[in-house]
Amino acid sequence: MSNDEFVQLKDITKTFPGVVANDDVSMSLRRGEIHGLLGENGAGKSTLMKILYGLYSADEGEIWLDGERLDMESPQDAIDAGIGMVHQHFKLIPRLSVSENIVLGMREPAAAFRADRDDDRGVLSALTGNSVVRGLASRFTLGLDEPQAEIQQLADDYGFDLDVTTPVWELGVGERQRVEILKALYRDVDLLILDEPTAVLTPTQAQRLCDTLRKLTDEGLTVIIITHKLDEITDVTDRVTVLRDGQDVGTVETSEHTSDDFARMMVGRDVLFQLEKEGVATGDAVLDVSDLRADGDRGIEAVSGVDLTIDSGEIVGLAGVSGNGQKELAEALVGVRETTDGTIAVTGEDVTNAPPRSFIDNGVSFVPEDRHEDGCAGTLSIMHNAVMKAYTDTEFSDGLKLDYEAMEAYAETLVEAFDVRGINDVRDINAGELSGGNLQKLILAREMLREPDLLVANQPTRGVDVGAIEFIRERLLEQRRAGTGILLLSEDLDELFDLSDRILVIYEGEFVYETTPEAATRRRIGLEMNGGQGAEQSAKVAADGGQSDAR
Amino acid sequence: MKLNVDVTPRTDVPRWMRYGTPVFTILAALAVSAVALVALGVSPVEAYYVMFVQTLTTNFGLTNTVAKAVPLIFAGLAVYLPLKAQLWNIGAEGQLFLGAIAGTWIGLNVSLPMVALLPLMFVGGALAGAAWIAVPAWLRAKLGINEIITTLLFVFVATEIKNYLVRGPLQAPTANFPQSAQLPAAAQLPDIPVVGYPVGIVLAVVLVAVTYLLVNYTRLGYEITFIGANDTAAEHAGMSKFKIYMIVLMAGGAMAGVAGVSELSGVQGRLRASFEPGYGFTAIPIALLGRNGAFQVMLAALFFAVIFVGGSSIQTLLGVPSAIVDIMQALIILFLITSEFFKQYSIDLGIERAPDPGAPGQPEGEV
Repeated sequence: MSNDEFVQLKDITKTFPGVVANDDVSMSLRRGEIHGLLGENGAGKSTLMKILYGLYSADEGEIWLDGERLDMESPQDAIDAGIGMVHQHFKLIPRLSVSENIVLGMREPAAAFRADRDDDRGVLSALTGNSVVRGLASRFTLGLDEPQAEIQQLADDYGFDLDVTTPVWELGVGERQRVEILKALYRDVDLLILDEPTAVLTPTQAQRLCDTLRKLTDEGLTVIIITHKLDEITDVTDRVTVLRDGQDVGTVETSEHTSDDFARMMVGRDVLFQLEKEGVATGDAVLDVSDLRADGDRGIEAVSGVDLTIDSGEIVGLAGVSGNGQKELAEALVGVRETTDGTIAVTGEDVTNAPPRSFIDNGVSFVPEDRHEDGCAGTLSIMHNAVMKAYTDTEFSDGLKLDYEAMEAYAETLVEAFDVRGINDVRDINAGELSGGNLQKLILAREMLREPDLLVANQPTRGVDVGAIEFIRERLLEQRRAGTGILLLSEDLDELFDLSDRILVIYEGEFVYETTPEAATRRRIGLEMNGGQGAEQSAKVAADGGQSDAR
Repeated sequence: MKLNVDVTPRTDVPRWMRYGTPVFTILAALAVSAVALVALGVSPVEAYYVMFVQTLTTNFGLTNTVAKAVPLIFAGLAVYLPLKAQLWNIGAEGQLFLGAIAGTWIGLNVSLPMVALLPLMFVGGALAGAAWIAVPAWLRAKLGINEIITTLLFVFVATEIKNYLVRGPLQAPTANFPQSAQLPAAAQLPDIPVVGYPVGIVLAVVLVAVTYLLVNYTRLGYEITFIGANDTAAEHAGMSKFKIYMIVLMAGGAMAGVAGVSELSGVQGRLRASFEPGYGFTAIPIALLGRNGAFQVMLAALFFAVIFVGGSSIQTLLGVPSAIVDIMQALIILFLITSEFFKQYSIDLGIERAPDPGAPGQPEGEV
């Protein structure tokens, strides 16, 4: 890493109708550093990077790269200047192989028509050397042999562990991301922008990405990561630029600051990550589940015999690697997924395989993992979404008519109580227009203000910014004080440790471990999430001939 | 010089666009249809004058327009209501046939005074239409089988049933034509005294109002809207998709059945093998033009009634083939689809002159 300014963004201002997305933002990068761009949702991070990548043009301000001023009209200009970007949603064609995806847009003609061929073989070469033929060939033939070898070499050099002939649809998310990075590297970029790269990755994959990025910067590449996750910033970056409300708060050395400092810069006030969790007397069981089984979307059993009791005033945390049946379990517990065996009782009443309405009427609330797909109707107003579960109450409905005035007032109550921002008229703004954090607050308000007996919250703080995370966690604890039993599913172990009274670990549809935050260690939970004692256990199973399976 | 086209997804559809779309669509369709008129050697101004101004200013034109509009309004609602729940009732034509058949049978076989017979025919027609869509509705609600295909296929079955009946059980005993006997006077819709419009328009307006109230003020309407917006979230909210799908599709079928009875009893007077008015298909662009609300559906139906009546006028007065009406209808659908694109993306056009390489940042024109 050198100290000369490699890239400079000077006084960038960009306005959209009604919004100043970037207000006089400056930022500079050193060659070979990993530079974090930190900010809450809507702080203007993505806009700034889209300007740097040529997707938007700035209203004011300049971009300098390596001492030259850049004037970009499209991403192509950015790529030509050596800037590459990996978007949050990958832009790959599943049917094509890794190398085909990578050469898209810059392929070479088949070997016989290549300009750099220097062997001379009479008529054939006269033909293939003809400029018209070459022009056609460059459009209608694809020479993959050389690029393929080159791409494979590149992948191996960086330890990407990819077979470049594999079709992309066969790859997992982490691998696809590596293909995107490879695509940029193949275009010979000097600066790589990653937009929230870990949002789609598991912790292990994220760790691997960090290692990759280090390797890249060692080779002289400069990397920007856009993120709102503080641990990522402290783990991997060299320097950080923080944006707040479109303005830059400053650029600092990562090593000289703690995550608390970053949180303060990002939110503009102190953020308490230390939550006050006093003891709460637990009451009767609000949820009693025995030997529950349910199938996943593909008809394969996802929940395999789960017993679970949650008492009033208790938060039970559920840890597990994504895809081990948590989503299905959560859905079964709120009645939106059919169960194949076992019983579910809510506050003593058997609701096994009852319609979702019975669960709702019995005081079950649910914060789904996918808030756009399951949690709201994005094209309907805040009001419509606010009363989504309560609209049958006598307060709003006499069975035939609905009282829209009362619904509007209720929606306003929710918005106020949970400080949902960006709403001036609950009938005019649609749920889909809210930012992730605000939509999540709205959903939580809807689910919590019903005063539920049981709350199932699946990843309640995923993808929301620090300020909202703090708020949501506090509300969960408040709900616990109010006597609600809560099942908290989270991939964030810190969250589970901070909030839970008990922690359960789910693996392949079964609970494999139970502990308390006081007694637990991260290492043990991490191991259990991956199927117990790992190598030790599989060795034991092999030794007794797999008999422990034949219970 | 360089033409810049920027296509960016919209986050929000502007209000003027949502309500302006139907108007722009119609104007664009008329503009393009003018090309066809010019090709036929007819002045578009004259043709449109005859088509719209004459139709709407003469008594004859108005009465005919209203008569045409009645079944179109019913059929439009038959598509509109399921569309609110994101279901496509493409087979309103088939439900309309079944309504007409039921109406004919009741009209010919039940002898009651008009005040009892006509309501009975409408109820019978509605039930028949609802029954006809019940199978596709159940397949959709229970098994998730695409209703676009099933409702459409049921049209062909309904057509053949109608063709069989007018040559068999319903055929007039005294005639050899494939048609039923003439409905008795008590089974024919009268005109409103004094104004002279067909009485069906009253029922149509009432149904429009009922549909409007249903969608905008009732609990059922809220559930329909919600399921139409996001059916997964609706199920999470405890709404029954099965129930709502059955209700909207069967209600749609019933309204198409009513359209059949009103056309039969108000215009045709008897069921013929050639009875294929196509209203059930025209209902699709009507519902799309009027998707913002039941009253808009009524306006769209009236518009189509005008171009149908006006289309006949320009055929007789100017010798323009009435196929021009089909062209307009097709263009309206095309422009509606196009407008969906413009609703979702905003397009910026910009013409930019290439900057002189010697003096960057100071664009100068070609010398």
